[in-house]
Amino acid sequence: MATTATRGWLGVGIVGVALLAALPFFANPYLVATGLTLLMWLALTQSWCVLSKMTGYVSLGHVVFYGIGAYLVVITWQSWPLPLAIAAAGALAALFAVVIGLPVLRVRGPYFVILTFGIAELVKYSILAGEAASGTASRILFGAPDLLVIYFAMFALAAAATLLLVLVSRSRFGQGLRSLRENEEAAETLGVPVVRYKLLAFVLSAAIPGMVGAVMALRSTYFVVGQVFDPMISVTVIAMALLGGGDDARGPILGTLFLFILSEVLWVRAPLAYMLILGAVLAGFVLLAPGGILGIVDSLRARRVRSA
Amino acid sequence: MSANAVPLLEVRDLGKRFGGLTALSGVSFSVAAGETVGVMGANGAGKTTLFSLIAGNARPSSGTITLDGRRIDGLSPDRICRLGVARTFQIVKPFPGLTVLENLRTAAMFGRVALADRGRADRHAMAVLDEIGMIELASAPAATLTLAGQKRLEVARAIATGARIVLLDEVMAGLTATEVAQMLETLRRMRDSRGLTLIVIEHVMQALMKLCARIVVLHHGERIAEGTPEAIGRDERVLSVYFGAAAA
Amino acid sequence: MSIVETLLSGQLLFAALVTGSLYALVALGLNLVYGTLRMLNVAHGDVVMLGAYGAYWAFTGWGVSPLLAAPAVAALGALAGLAVYRGVVRRLFASTGQTSTRLEGNSLLLFFGLSIILQNAAAFAFTPNARGFAYLTEVYHLGNVAMTANRIAALVIAGATCIAVAALLSRSLLGLSMRAVIERREAATIVGVDVDRVQAISFALGFATAALAGALVSMLEQISPFSGFPFTIAAFIVIILGGLGNIGAGLGAALLLGAIETYGVALTSANVRSVLLYGAFVAALLLFPRGLFARKSARA
Repeated sequence: MATTATRGWLGVGIVGVALLAALPFFANPYLVATGLTLLMWLALTQSWCVLSKMTGYVSLGHVVFYGIGAYLVVITWQSWPLPLAIAAAGALAALFAVVIGLPVLRVRGPYFVILTFGIAELVKYSILAGEAASGTASRILFGAPDLLVIYFAMFALAAAATLLLVLVSRSRFGQGLRSLRENEEAAETLGVPVVRYKLLAFVLSAAIPGMVGAVMALRSTYFVVGQVFDPMISVTVIAMALLGGGDDARGPILGTLFLFILSEVLWVRAPLAYMLILGAVLAGFVLLAPGGILGIVDSLRARRVRSA
Repeated sequence: MSANAVPLLEVRDLGKRFGGLTALSGVSFSVAAGETVGVMGANGAGKTTLFSLIAGNARPSSGTITLDGRRIDGLSPDRICRLGVARTFQIVKPFPGLTVLENLRTAAMFGRVALADRGRADRHAMAVLDEIGMIELASAPAATLTLAGQKRLEVARAIATGARIVLLDEVMAGLTATEVAQMLETLRRMRDSRGLTLIVIEHVMQALMKLCARIVVLHHGERIAEGTPEAIGRDERVLSVYFGAAAA
Repeated sequence: MSIVETLLSGQLLFAALVTGSLYALVALGLNLVYGTLRMLNVAHGDVVMLGAYGAYWAFTGWGVSPLLAAPAVAALGALAGLAVYRGVVRRLFASTGQTSTRLEGNSLLLFFGLSIILQNAAAFAFTPNARGFAYLTEVYHLGNVAMTANRIAALVIAGATCIAVAALLSRSLLGLSMRAVIERREAATIVGVDVDRVQAISFALGFATAALAGALVSMLEQISPFSGFPFTIAAFIVIILGGLGNIGAGLGAALLLGAIETYGVALTSANVRSVLLYGAFVAALLLFPRGLFARKSARA
């Protein structure tokens, strides 16, 4: 690995982490909430990459883990201690991944993409139907913790997700995942236990979003099923990862920052424009720059080397 | 093969059906350690199916496959690889987005040699690349290699797993005469330096004859002959299959 | 109503037929587009939505009956299909090669992005609120089944169109070449089919039938920029169950899906409709993990 580039990234990373860690102490609540959202997207995108960038199984249903975590916190509100509920949210999401993992991961390519989408929607509508059937009109959360507590919880989750991706990326496990992404049959024939590895990646990618959803549920007093299972969350995660490129922790950071800044600028003025741009980013990058920003940088560097 | 040598690989009464199609039926033969056995036959004779069954990419419908006295039929391909069997694919399956070195790294980490540490795996991989003459290509993405390069990569990868038995599926196909000669020389060299057991599917006859001590001939999924290259060349069933009954 | 009474209800049967025929029409279009493109066009339902808006504006703006607007909308759809094929699809094939596996995996995201653009552009232009209009609401009775005229019209038109297209595909030479291209494009080229022309026609026809379905739907339901998507899902279920290119099985699968939805909702509740739809979707994909291209290649 190019050491100057790595050192550059490390430097930027340390500054960024320090900034984010200190944010609540010098910024106003609006800025802190903005930072919180950024951390949320980081955590979600990094954890998505553990499955989808490493194995090539692109999930369009990442929000299902988020929603499951949020739902658990809401239904155990006031009866379970919060730290337990949040941990359980992660465990439940991981358990869900274990249960559906084997049949779901047998499906390949674009069919896997729409299948994951379908599963997320299925869970959403099932919970909606369940809530309607049990006569629960609405769920209200009183006495949620302070923004500061929520912020640092999310900070920890974002750090954990980044660390997870870094570790997986450098490990033998990661090598196996990349190999099965490049050619699953060949990887298996070379000794990679593909079924087990795919499932493990799937489960690993589920736990953190579950906890992210649990923590974010504390932000609003009024719980709306449709919001915590919003497919646009899944789409945004993919767009961020695609925009960034690569298959390690650098890409999601780039893509998340980029898209996040874009959304913050546009959301106030023109929310519909933001959606249009999101769609355009997705379509445009798939068509023109499937390697994302990192890919563009790499090819520019290669061109410079060649012409040197 | 001497009568009291325990075969390394033994295939007994192997059969495979795909729905209504019988790809293999009643195939039996054994391979001793260090031998190079060839598998010959027209297209559709069941040769690649045989390899798929041995390597675990498919399950036999009947029969057994034994490695070193232990049943391996029905095991998963990754398990069989760790037990010491590696294969190449007729249509090459490189890891296109990874470099040549990274391709071999996977083999070194997950194959029989199981070098979990990346540094050791890479050193092992580099040694194999050096021996096969591909070391300058180590950082090239596999997708940028020529066909001949990808075929060599396929072979290098299989060998890098540290396997005892390597199944080579038409590694000469599509190569020019010079490339064939190079590949032949490479295979001989690496086989001899590592004491590999090879099972070779080949259509390029002269390569097959030069490499193999013994040849098994398949036709319509059945074994119709087995023997030294010279004996096969004279066998009447083989001749009638290849050249018509009048030639036998 | 008891379960048996529910299942035997003529009213529900009629509703199931109407829903099923609309799904069949949309699935037919998707079969043609998907069969040509070989990529999961998740924006197909949005063409339905645009057709619905076209008929809506025709009626509320100019007083044109949706029955008259429908063929016009379909024609516009056909033109749009041609434009998309010539402008985008051909370029896509040219630049990446039709066998590029990277693009195939990502193509779904591409169409998803396009779908988002379409839906939000529509929301921008038409506001996100649901709209509807009343037309042909006279009720006819057959026994104790009450049928509104607009539903009868939708059923008849959708059914007739499906049968006509199915006949085109199975009886005519054009239809034969379309089926050939859907099944195996390379082989079709070899036997002399003008693949480009056939693909363009398939695309145009696919868009036209989707737009037509939209015009019919506008009579029956409230429409919004986001109401196209459930049709995409339904159409995919139908194709997965019926098999790609298999129009007859597709018609059957569509009616089955209409029945599952209608009777399922009647037996449980309206909230369950989406659960049934997505449940069928997930089940279909899990049962056929190779998707729609389970090529019976016994090549070892």
